[in-house]
Amino acid sequence: MTANSAKALVLPLGILVAFEVWARATHLQSDSLAPPSEIVMALIGAFADLSILTATRDTLFSAFAGLAIGTVIGLALGIAFGISDTLNRLMEVTVEAIRPIPSIALLPIALIALGFGYRMEIAIVAFACVWPVLILSRAAVRSIEPRLMEVARALRLPPAQRVWKIIIPAALPRIFVAFRLSAGIALIVAVTVEIAINPLGLGAGIMLAQQALRPDLMLAYLVWIGIIGYALNVLLVIAQNRLFGRAALTGGGQ
Amino acid sequence: MASAAKRLEAVSGTAAPQIAFESVTLQLGGKTIIENLSLGVRAGEFLCIVGASGCGKTTALRLAAGLYQPTSGKVNFDSQPMREPRREIAIVFQDYGKALLPWRTAAGNVSLALEAGGMPSAERPARIEELLRTVGLPGHAGKYPSEMSGGMQQRLQIARCLAQEPKTLLMDEPFGALDAMTRQGLQDEVLSLVAASGATVIFVTHDLDEAIYLGDRVIGLLPHPGRIGIELAVNLPRPRDQLSTREHPEFLRLRRQLFDFIKATEQ
Amino acid sequence: MNRAVILWRVASFAVAACFIALWQLIANLKLVSPVFLPGPDRAWAALVRGFSSGDLWSKLAGTLEHMAYGWLAASIAGIAIGAIIGSSRTMRTYVAPSLEFLRPLPVSAIIPVAIAMLGLTQAMALFVISFGAIWPIMLATIHGFAAVEPRLYEVARSLQMSRLAVIFKIALPSASPDILAGMRLSLTVALILSVVCEILAGLDGLGHWVLLSARAFRSADLFAGVILLGVTGYVTSVAMSLAENKLLAWQAAQR
Repeated sequence: MTANSAKALVLPLGILVAFEVWARATHLQSDSLAPPSEIVMALIGAFADLSILTATRDTLFSAFAGLAIGTVIGLALGIAFGISDTLNRLMEVTVEAIRPIPSIALLPIALIALGFGYRMEIAIVAFACVWPVLILSRAAVRSIEPRLMEVARALRLPPAQRVWKIIIPAALPRIFVAFRLSAGIALIVAVTVEIAINPLGLGAGIMLAQQALRPDLMLAYLVWIGIIGYALNVLLVIAQNRLFGRAALTGGGQ
Repeated sequence: MASAAKRLEAVSGTAAPQIAFESVTLQLGGKTIIENLSLGVRAGEFLCIVGASGCGKTTALRLAAGLYQPTSGKVNFDSQPMREPRREIAIVFQDYGKALLPWRTAAGNVSLALEAGGMPSAERPARIEELLRTVGLPGHAGKYPSEMSGGMQQRLQIARCLAQEPKTLLMDEPFGALDAMTRQGLQDEVLSLVAASGATVIFVTHDLDEAIYLGDRVIGLLPHPGRIGIELAVNLPRPRDQLSTREHPEFLRLRRQLFDFIKATEQ
Repeated sequence: MNRAVILWRVASFAVAACFIALWQLIANLKLVSPVFLPGPDRAWAALVRGFSSGDLWSKLAGTLEHMAYGWLAASIAGIAIGAIIGSSRTMRTYVAPSLEFLRPLPVSAIIPVAIAMLGLTQAMALFVISFGAIWPIMLATIHGFAAVEPRLYEVARSLQMSRLAVIFKIALPSASPDILAGMRLSLTVALILSVVCEILAGLDGLGHWVLLSARAFRSADLFAGVILLGVTGYVTSVAMSLAENKLLAWQAAQR
């Protein structure tokens, strides 16, 4: 186990050391590359003047707000479609027509309707997050043990309570898997929107660093974005295991 | 016929053994699985290996196949040391479901062995059809393994092994997962296929009756570590018959002897 | 049975038509300013106009070209690299963890780096698209190769198959469901990154078209472009499904 994790570190450390040595030996002057030591210094600098923290806050705020809205909409639709086969079949064409639109294509529409800023970014993130939640929660609701639904009927639970007391708890492990997937998507979409057009957050930060010909700072942002992405994923996996243990894994794929 | 001559040679026992284990010891993960095993299998002989589970009978087969290399000692094939698996030794695995390619049809699975043997593609279809007919699967060429019953899948695996035109057939509890009726049918088919091809067979099974019914010789292994505990020559007339052979006094005597041996090892 | 399916489908189309009618109604009553929301009639007219003048054709072709080249490059490289890593235990121990670490990285963050290296060029777009699209394919290939039934490798050994034959006859087909699933994911990634690159670098394509339309407040053209992007996403995904069904017919038999 420890031997394997040590082996896992060989490659990245080797690349970093080799790159550092190469950059120093050639006195690297570049607009796109910088030795690891300078990247670390730039990262520390960006922390010191709080710029990267502000950017992180902005990106995460947009991502989570969009994620929250998208999850609520996706969950409501997913549960409704999962419960009612009629509704699901009637909406099939509509859903299939809207779903394949790449979220980023909505960027110009959001731009003219909402202008630059948080709102348009949140709207696009929300659109992107609706679909995985909708599809997976619909599947989760459909795969609920029929016996449970019979119990609900036998208890004569009113529909609202049926959803709240039976359906959501039963489908929760798989819904969380959908939420985890969406959280990753939310971060990706938020950063992409910022890089493409929106002047805030980490994406704008990395674009500015590139335009200012500061490869060290640009790569520092890249590393930081990577760390955020990784940390978010790890946290959600831990949360999933804590909350649902193995159940989530058997229920919802990866 | 060549096979008859071979069979005669085997019985007379003058030729050097086709497969020879010379003081073979195998350790895996620090555990001794097989210890000091010496064993010769004559060309054309049908050898059965029985033993309690964990006695290393499957391991012995994998050594004979060249899938394992002994820790010490030698495994020879035709007086040459076995360094790796070779095409003239075919293996019928117990888990046919895993040993067949699920993305190829029955014909495609047989074809795999012909392709490996370098047969030109123009000649393959006729040979495939012939082989499928031989194992009793005519008309199933286009089916995927998942569309076939367990017995049919095992027939298909046997067909693929026959396509290798093996000198030796290694069978690892090939009928262990099949029901009794299918099993008896396949036993007789294997006997007639082997008689026709003259191949040497090492047949691993935990079914004592099966071992005696099929074999020229039965070896019982002792467990922990695996070594030979008993060796019985089976002098029952061939061709064997599911009813009369199994009622033969000699069959019953051997069965009793083997049964006592296994019972003793399990204590 | 079949009849019922068709009826449901018709009903479902009718519902979609109702939504379009509702959209038309909202536009006609100017509940939302026509600057932001054209009616479906105007969007359709813009589509027809764009195609008959040839403008949209060339934009569509541009996007498809970016997407296809990037995706194909990613597929070839991803399968090759994934096969090398996946078929060697040593490589898996040393390389796979680094890849797992990089996987959650928002790939668009590589765009500034690519711009710094290659400028606002086609080469930059191709690099970004294939870099983004390679991950799902490569990781799926590694997984698929690592998950090949060991028994099949033993069969291959006993048949003395060459290394090349083992890869093409055993490992690749066995990993093909994983690989195709990865390629399907990558298709979406490739489309999104094509649009982003076109927006950023002003490359000829639908991304550029929708951005220009938005800047000029030509909302009908904008919607026409978005609809076309949706159709592109849909058609490519359906094509991928058809390819999967054909290539994985043996899996259908398994179920």
